[in-house]
Amino acid sequence: MAVDTIVSRTRAVAAPISVTNLPTLRQLRAVILPFATAGAVLLLWQIVCGLAHIPPVILPPPSEIAGELWHILPVLLHHAVPTTLDSLTAFALASALGIVLAMAITYSPLVRDMLFPNLVLFQIIPKVALAPLFVVWLGISSESRIAFSAFTCFFPVVISATLGFASADASALRLCKSLTASDWQSFLLVRFPYALPAIFSGMKIAITMAVIGVIIGEFISAKAGLGFYILYASSRMDTAAIFAALFVLCMIGLALFGAVALAERYVRQHYGRR
Amino acid sequence: MTIAQNTVSLPGRFGAGGETVLRFGRTIGLPVGFAVLSVVAWEILCRVAHISPELLPAPSAVWDVLTGNPRILIEQALPTAIEIVVSFAIASGVGVLLAIGITFSVAIREAIYPNIVMFQVIPKIALAPLFIVWLGVGGKSIVTVGVFIAFFPMVVSTATGLVSANPDVLQLCRSLTASEWQRFVLVRFPYAMPYIFAGMKVGVTMAMIGVIVGEFITAQAGLGYIIMFASSAGETATVLAAIVVLCGIGLSLYGLVGLGEFAVRRWYGGELPTSGLV
Repeated sequence: MAVDTIVSRTRAVAAPISVTNLPTLRQLRAVILPFATAGAVLLLWQIVCGLAHIPPVILPPPSEIAGELWHILPVLLHHAVPTTLDSLTAFALASALGIVLAMAITYSPLVRDMLFPNLVLFQIIPKVALAPLFVVWLGISSESRIAFSAFTCFFPVVISATLGFASADASALRLCKSLTASDWQSFLLVRFPYALPAIFSGMKIAITMAVIGVIIGEFISAKAGLGFYILYASSRMDTAAIFAALFVLCMIGLALFGAVALAERYVRQHYGRR
Repeated sequence: MTIAQNTVSLPGRFGAGGETVLRFGRTIGLPVGFAVLSVVAWEILCRVAHISPELLPAPSAVWDVLTGNPRILIEQALPTAIEIVVSFAIASGVGVLLAIGITFSVAIREAIYPNIVMFQVIPKIALAPLFIVWLGVGGKSIVTVGVFIAFFPMVVSTATGLVSANPDVLQLCRSLTASEWQRFVLVRFPYAMPYIFAGMKVGVTMAMIGVIVGEFITAQAGLGYIIMFASSAGETATVLAAIVVLCGIGLSLYGLVGLGEFAVRRWYGGELPTSGLV
């Protein structure tokens, strides 16, 4: 009995924290608790704002933010359109270019030795600092934001796709060769399915970075978009509007991330979850 | 024979140190050679095509700015570097502490952890203007932006590391009546070390992003401010020079974290235990 409890307690502590797996019924508590915590924080926020008479410029209560959100929702949605479209375009560009370059790196040792260390270096340096340069080069239109955002989220895709392609089972590749499969066939049937988890983990980082890139671009040069609206509202000290815009932005971020995660599920099911 | 060799060499590891001098020269020489070649091509392109220096200054022009008045760049680099280090240190400290809390209390973990993971996904950088409303223009709000961005990868990574300790070893410690603290110091922490450093590597990069964006939108000093100011004045060479300095700061901080990891590995005696990693 004592041993049982010891074992079960150790297990409970050592249980891996699951990020992607959906919780089962047994873990209902694990679903309710985070929501309850978030709800409690909101409630506390509301009460503190009411009791301590915090000026709404500093911190508006959640109820006021909800009211403001309802009030300016059409404006926010109007600004959300360019932000979402720019993020998606940048993400698509970066993913496509990243996977193509990763293929080149995989198939040519020369390209790999030349480029890969430089790509890893670029991953480390603060690429954000280049944002104003993109404005100098491409103007203040959405092209400059798309280019900048694609530039920032391109590197995680290349690096994870390259590592993914390299992780393919060597004996499966050898089998393909001995069955006289062409390079293209062995890529499509072996390397690509093996690389899918890595590619998608790169794409999940990329979609987050794409939104961040577009927002930074909108901070420094824009006439529309949620980043522009947030900066505009902060210059008017309209804190409730900032929060409302942040809420919409978070929803967009979560929806885009969710879309990539759903695509991963779908594609991996299609490939039979290897 | 050749087929087998070909297939074996295909999934080769990247950057693995070569056995021969030739291989070593290739892994170091090729990437450096490519980088140098790109810079030379850039210089030639600028000279031959007469590209306006406002659009794309030649590398030599950037070098002139770097060597011409290094004092200004160093003076501006100082606050930026300090802000980055401070926000990285705070984010690491708070992140590791919260991760320890998450690991030891199931209630805290289940209540907070999913919210933290959600925060990983949303574009936190958008909160930067809010910090300015709260903390005013200047270093305090810039550091807060950096901390806020660098904090989440630290927590998630450390928490993942702390729960990855080998359950058998933990059980053994229990049967040898080790205290909770002993188990933590002797088992959990060493197991978590690779994860903590992985989180710190992401964190130091994130802290830089936060500080630079903070300087873009609020600062009166710092490299981010210089970049914004120079780019609006059309002095692209100065922008690039500031970026070069910034990259230098970024790479040295990243290198310091790497050195720290190396030192800790040595301290724990060679390879860190990595069995049971996810």
